[in-house]
Amino acid sequence: MKLSLNWLKELVDLSDVPTSEIIHKLTMSGLEVEDVIDQNKIYENFVVGFVKEKKKHPNADKLSLCTVSTGKEEFQVICGATNVDSGQKVVFAKIGAIVPKGNFKITKAKIRGIESYGMICSEAELQLSDNHEGILVLENGVQEGITVSEALSLNDTILEIAITPNRPDALSHIGVGRDLAAIFKSQVKIPAINIEESEEKASTAAAVEITDKKNCPRYSSRILKGISIKESPSWLRRRLKNIGLRPINNIVDVTNYVMYETGQPLHAFDLENLAGHKIVVQSTEKETSFTTLDSKERKLPKGTLMICDGEKPVAIAGVMGGENSEVTSATRSILIESAYFNPSSIRNTSKALGLSTDASYRFERGTDPNGTVYAASRAAQIIKQLAGGEILKDVIDVCPKKIEPLQVKIRLNRVEKILGYKIDRGKIREILIKLGMKIIDEAESQFHISVPTNRPDIEREIDLIEEIARIDGYDNIPTVSRISITLGEKKDESDFTNKVKETAIELGFYEMINNPLQSEKAASLTGSPIKIMNPQSADMAYLRTSLLPGALRTVSINLNAGEKDLKLFEIGNIFRMKSGNKIRDFKDFTENESLIFVITGKSRIKSWYSGEENEDLFDLKGFVKSFISKFSLDNVLQYSYNHEGDPFYELCFSLKSANLEIGIGGSVSKKVLKQFDIDENLYCFEINLDNLKKIPVPARKYSELLKYPKVNRDFAFIFDKSVTYKQVSDFILEKSTGLLKSITLFDLFESDTLGKNKKSMAFALEFFDKDRTLTDEEVEKEFVYLISVVTEKFNAKLRGN
Amino acid sequence: MLNDKIKYLREEFHKEINLINSNNKLEEIRLKYLSRNGLLSQLFDELRLVSKEEKPLLGKELNLLRNEVTDKFNSVKDSIEGRAKSEELVDLTLPGKTKTLGSRHVLTQTVDEIKNIFKGLGFAVALGPEIESDYYNFEALNFPLDHPARDMQDTYFLSDSFLLRTHTTPVQIRIMEKHQPPVRAIMPGRVYRNEAVSARSYCMFHQVDGIYVDTDVTFAELKGTLVSFAKQFYGEDIKYRFRPSYFPFTEPSAEMDITCFLCHGAGCRVCKYSGWLEVLGCGMVDPNVFKAVGYDSEKYTGYAFGMGIERTAMLKYGINDIRIFFENDIRFLRQF
Repeated sequence: MKLSLNWLKELVDLSDVPTSEIIHKLTMSGLEVEDVIDQNKIYENFVVGFVKEKKKHPNADKLSLCTVSTGKEEFQVICGATNVDSGQKVVFAKIGAIVPKGNFKITKAKIRGIESYGMICSEAELQLSDNHEGILVLENGVQEGITVSEALSLNDTILEIAITPNRPDALSHIGVGRDLAAIFKSQVKIPAINIEESEEKASTAAAVEITDKKNCPRYSSRILKGISIKESPSWLRRRLKNIGLRPINNIVDVTNYVMYETGQPLHAFDLENLAGHKIVVQSTEKETSFTTLDSKERKLPKGTLMICDGEKPVAIAGVMGGENSEVTSATRSILIESAYFNPSSIRNTSKALGLSTDASYRFERGTDPNGTVYAASRAAQIIKQLAGGEILKDVIDVCPKKIEPLQVKIRLNRVEKILGYKIDRGKIREILIKLGMKIIDEAESQFHISVPTNRPDIEREIDLIEEIARIDGYDNIPTVSRISITLGEKKDESDFTNKVKETAIELGFYEMINNPLQSEKAASLTGSPIKIMNPQSADMAYLRTSLLPGALRTVSINLNAGEKDLKLFEIGNIFRMKSGNKIRDFKDFTENESLIFVITGKSRIKSWYSGEENEDLFDLKGFVKSFISKFSLDNVLQYSYNHEGDPFYELCFSLKSANLEIGIGGSVSKKVLKQFDIDENLYCFEINLDNLKKIPVPARKYSELLKYPKVNRDFAFIFDKSVTYKQVSDFILEKSTGLLKSITLFDLFESDTLGKNKKSMAFALEFFDKDRTLTDEEVEKEFVYLISVVTEKFNAKLRGN
Repeated sequence: MLNDKIKYLREEFHKEINLINSNNKLEEIRLKYLSRNGLLSQLFDELRLVSKEEKPLLGKELNLLRNEVTDKFNSVKDSIEGRAKSEELVDLTLPGKTKTLGSRHVLTQTVDEIKNIFKGLGFAVALGPEIESDYYNFEALNFPLDHPARDMQDTYFLSDSFLLRTHTTPVQIRIMEKHQPPVRAIMPGRVYRNEAVSARSYCMFHQVDGIYVDTDVTFAELKGTLVSFAKQFYGEDIKYRFRPSYFPFTEPSAEMDITCFLCHGAGCRVCKYSGWLEVLGCGMVDPNVFKAVGYDSEKYTGYAFGMGIERTAMLKYGINDIRIFFENDIRFLRQF
């Protein structure tokens, strides 16, 4: 919210306080000043100029060559505006001035061969309005040479303050003034109401009736007659513009002014357009359509709180007035509405309509139910000054449900218990009083406080403690250098995930983090996805059901960047609908932590010591094996293989424990890759970490280092092509008497010399016994035996050993 | 006799070996003296023929000779081979053979760093789900229904009562529901906000929340803990300030600023010329939160805090577009 420092200074005496101190203290008391616009600084080097002479630019039809006088000096200036003329008073930007719009500096310039020493400005260039049709022409009486700040009252400092949702009281100058008064130990000067009322009673000119008392506990109004609608005086227009409002006419401007002064939103109805000169506050009983004063027809849901006249709705309560009753240039009599509405009712309406206004913003946060009469009178007072007419006698104040101030107790020892330091009793008392709290009763150890109704955020003792802390200043709270530590279980629930990450990195993979929000198409690839009710866009409307689409997207991005050799992994949650299509309970969906490995491109680049090599399915399988051995699950998990039939993987393998699916992967099918514009071979493996976590990891135990030598033997056979590695290796191990401890495939090839549909597999065998040295004879015996059984079982042919 | 032969062999060997300067010759010597049928073996064969009385002495002599010859031979061999190696041309400037390394995402690295500091301060680490109920995400955290405080966090809804969590704070509720005080933990995780994607904001990001509840936890201790964290994480020489703010689940609430580490407080583009950077939100746990989890707020007090990881990493590494974290361009990943 924008606030005028000049305005604040009218309300609180801050004459001795430097602006920087005000800004700092506001920020440090919870009203964060986000931006400061010092108009004197902005309009430095902008002065009132007198156009002494205007000639045509000799080299350009559309440009004028002007002589601008500032009283003391004269400048030759080129101007492109068509409305510039001699005899005008204008805003002249001298060399060195920085033009607010576009933030550029005026320098000496040569335009079509002629030098120009400054610029004549438009309103838009000065950021006074959006009007960029020609230059701004000032009133003729303005003295040339004076600064623009002085001439246009652009001598304010505008503070942009971030008001947190708990502080509706600070959405006005008086509200912020109250904080300033408490901080600087001053007083807020609430403008006095001093009005002359006519004989005619307001209550005879109009009637107010509240039907929905729950949502409208109070409705106050003032009636004025015989007013004339015109433009507001310049001080008012300037003040509104300074805080970012657009001046409209002297009635609307005053209602806005008083809202920014007091925080109470006001609305002015043309009394003559209120049928029966009547206001009825009621909620709609069915869906209704209504045209607001911005000429938009809006659909109002059933139950919307409306301001009606004797016949029809005239405003959406607390949000926006209707076109049918707005103040026009023909208006002579007005009814000023100053009401208190139930915050949640206004919020629901505002949400339902997608319409947030200055008024709804304040009402939904909570205005002061006991500030309505003051604001109505305050507006009437200023309107009478600006628009003439007469103020009818009395405020019509319908208040079916009086809202009383809350009473709260605050214990001094509790202040210390929460904040960790002792604040002087007298200081606490002073802060509370300055903030407008009334002390009903006090004892040595506590105060009994009545909280003003403009502070709906203060309901409990803790809220008062916060008020005391923020006004005293958080800087006064000690920063202790010793902290207490609780002993006990210090579990790190991310241990498992961390270990998974570490292992992936040890294997040489880079971690990626992909967006879990995906298009329906991507998310549906791998399961039944959960839909987001209010997505930003269709391509982020579903939650991922697998890490695969995200990984493929990342690969695609990298391929486009020319990076083709990739080893990536991601750990993240995947989400699936379990039953039905609506989430009512945690049981209706699953959320699982998942891991994906993806490899593509070269596993070894061309280099001085070797040729290049591409990643392939067996690189992937190797990574998977290393990964699971890190979790000591080599002997617990089983592989299974699938050559076709999987929708994503052309060659597919999966890992299972006795009863849990652990992971699946392989070479991703061309069809899937095509959807992601990938034209490379790519291998992925996705692991369900929640399932992996469930498998009991065998306890690690030291096993004695081998004391006796190992004996190595190799053999190679020619097999039918259909014989698999696993069949052979399992068979050999099974047939061994137990001396054979490991078997490694070290060569595999096919060639014409072997014969058609034949292949050669060579194995390295390792024999040992942990309790003794094996003799050559016994190894040889077993070796020969193994050769014979392999030959026989697979109809294989020994190639040599 | 044998004694003389020993003496002679010793002299001959030394004469010959001292003339040696190449590998080929070395092999000749080895064959001549040390091989199975070499001169030394022959002398050992002769030992069998000498008398019982002479045997021990001559045997000892012979063993000494064998050791002497073997040692000398080996030392000459080493020196010749060493010389040969250094004379062979090896281009030591050749690049080493490539070994690939993986790496943690920079966001993971940032979370890990934060985690380690708080673990050192005695905090446990707790996790919670990304799909949350309205109750955990808002209601239990004192966001009343229909309250504008809910607008502070634009929410993705999955149904009327389920959503993608907008902060990691719901884990505070989950952990307090499970444990009685003292509770002391941090809660890292992923959160979602329904905001348009731009250089400054993304539809999801990461947070670390923290909570400490016990019988005598004060705001002063909150300050002490967070200052200790900030100094470890951002540097010993930072200045800090706490200023009042608002979060529904804490009261009083604060925001912690530290001096901008780019301009050291002088004012720059990153700190929007204020000299300060907002690094985390914090406060004393609101009694309504304690009520939701059944803690007695008269007996227990506590503090809570939370910070955004992306923002922290962006500040720390000078990254100016949040989207780059989730593009996973390998050229970006390799930088960390």
